Amino acid sequence: MTAVGGMRRLDLLREVLDHEVVDVEGTSCGMVDDIEFAAGERGPEVAALLIGPGAWTPRLPALFALACERLFGRGVVRVPWPEVSEISETIRLRSKASELGLGRLDRKAGRWLAALPKS
Amino acid sequence: MGKFGEIFLGILSAMGGFVEIGELTFSVNAGVRFDYRLLWVTAIGTLGIMVYCEMAGRIAAVRQRPVFSLIRERTGYRSALLTLIAANLVNLLTCAAEIGGIALLWQLLSGAPYRALILLALAVFVLAVWLLSFQAIERVFGLGGLLMIVFIGAALHFGPDWPRLGAGLVPSLPEGGPRDTLLYFYFAVALMSSIMLPYETYLYASGGIEDKWTASDIGLNRLVVSVGFALGGVLSAALLALGADFFGARDIEPQLPGTAALATAAAYGKAGLYAALIGMFFAFGGAAVETALSGAYNLAQFAGWPWGKTKRPRDAARFALAWIALFVLAAALIATGIDPVKVVEYSIVFSVVVLPFSYFPVLMVARDPRIMGKHANGRLANALGWFYLVTITLTAIAALPLFVLTHAGQG
Repeated sequence: MTAVGGMRRLDLLREVLDHEVVDVEGTSCGMVDDIEFAAGERGPEVAALLIGPGAWTPRLPALFALACERLFGRGVVRVPWPEVSEISETIRLRSKASELGLGRLDRKAGRWLAALPKS
Repeated sequence: MGKFGEIFLGILSAMGGFVEIGELTFSVNAGVRFDYRLLWVTAIGTLGIMVYCEMAGRIAAVRQRPVFSLIRERTGYRSALLTLIAANLVNLLTCAAEIGGIALLWQLLSGAPYRALILLALAVFVLAVWLLSFQAIERVFGLGGLLMIVFIGAALHFGPDWPRLGAGLVPSLPEGGPRDTLLYFYFAVALMSSIMLPYETYLYASGGIEDKWTASDIGLNRLVVSVGFALGGVLSAALLALGADFFGARDIEPQLPGTAALATAAAYGKAGLYAALIGMFFAFGGAAVETALSGAYNLAQFAGWPWGKTKRPRDAARFALAWIALFVLAAALIATGIDPVKVVEYSIVFSVVVLPFSYFPVLMVARDPRIMGKHANGRLANALGWFYLVTITLTAIAALPLFVLTHAGQG
């Protein structure tokens, strides 16, 4: 992020895309797989961060994208831009991962592993 | 334990964890085929892994950033995905080879069926990683691997020819025709790759974050890496010297990992044999555990999952399932009956192709003062970093043609 005439200029490609997303408790909950834009008053504006296979498979070559869609599905979690509280090496969110629908698979697998001793 | 004790244990663990099945195989065979002529590769490779582990450890200490997150951020999604697939394929092959090597060692001691021993090894490693902390894993396998020092003793026992050994530190082509020259370069590439295996860097940086290093640990990081790996390099050099002085002199070309223990048995009898076999178990076992964990770290860091051995498995569930899956796949692969030494050869050659992609982002971040502040690379670290990046890129370009032209080192 650089300061331009008192304004912050953000390089979305370098500072947001493919960066780790961390919830308010510091738990990793995915990577920024894609960025959604919406039409704003002064041109396109960032609307949300997209996380999940439905966001990263379109970035692959067509054949791999098709195979990955079959394997991992097309699920995408949309994190509205105002949810972002800080952009540094990680993208920090204002809410818990569970409130935003992030990290579902981890919680599901965690409940399953919790049945094992010393887990 | 005091700071001194921590440093001492860290150095010993780094030394004990330095050698694995690929390095053992290629070091001994390089000595058998080319006498001391490839010793310079051991020296260059050891310095190379020191340079990059120090950088990755420094990044972990200053920015708490693991290598694979950086690879995705710096090289982009597609390139990072390719590196992830390749790096984890190398991890899988290396892990499979280590498990196979351990099953072969246990078979030497017990005579039990090979596949049953593979299953036993799988159970032992899954339980060890499930139950032990990161530091305990590092210490148990690293310190157990120190028994490999018996190989240094054996190398001294059979008396290295010091002037010839010194001459081996300067590159020189072997006598013979073009086929020998090609084979020499194949061994140089394989030896370099076996010493600079990328999983060591991934694991080292992830371990630093697990241990909650801060900028004040940079000096400790540098000391452990330089002294521990230098001692590990001495062990590799001893294996090469044994290849030259013991096996080469007797026209033995060790095809099985256990054969290397013949040299220690010849030097110290039964005690030497057992020390070598137990040392190899810990060294191979450490590498099996490290490659499985490294695979899980890579995947979790690439995908942004919670990760770490300091977390309970239920709190980093996909990470835990990833290392278990890697162990199971590796055991299944080696249980098909494929020769572990062949798997080592494939993993080593494939690994060298991944090296530039793994190390490039590390250098880019470590040299950037905007990211690293006053802890960015100095002139020496930058010069060494670029030297090794160019070297491993040339090595990566040469690896596959050499593999094909030499029929995987068969000449």
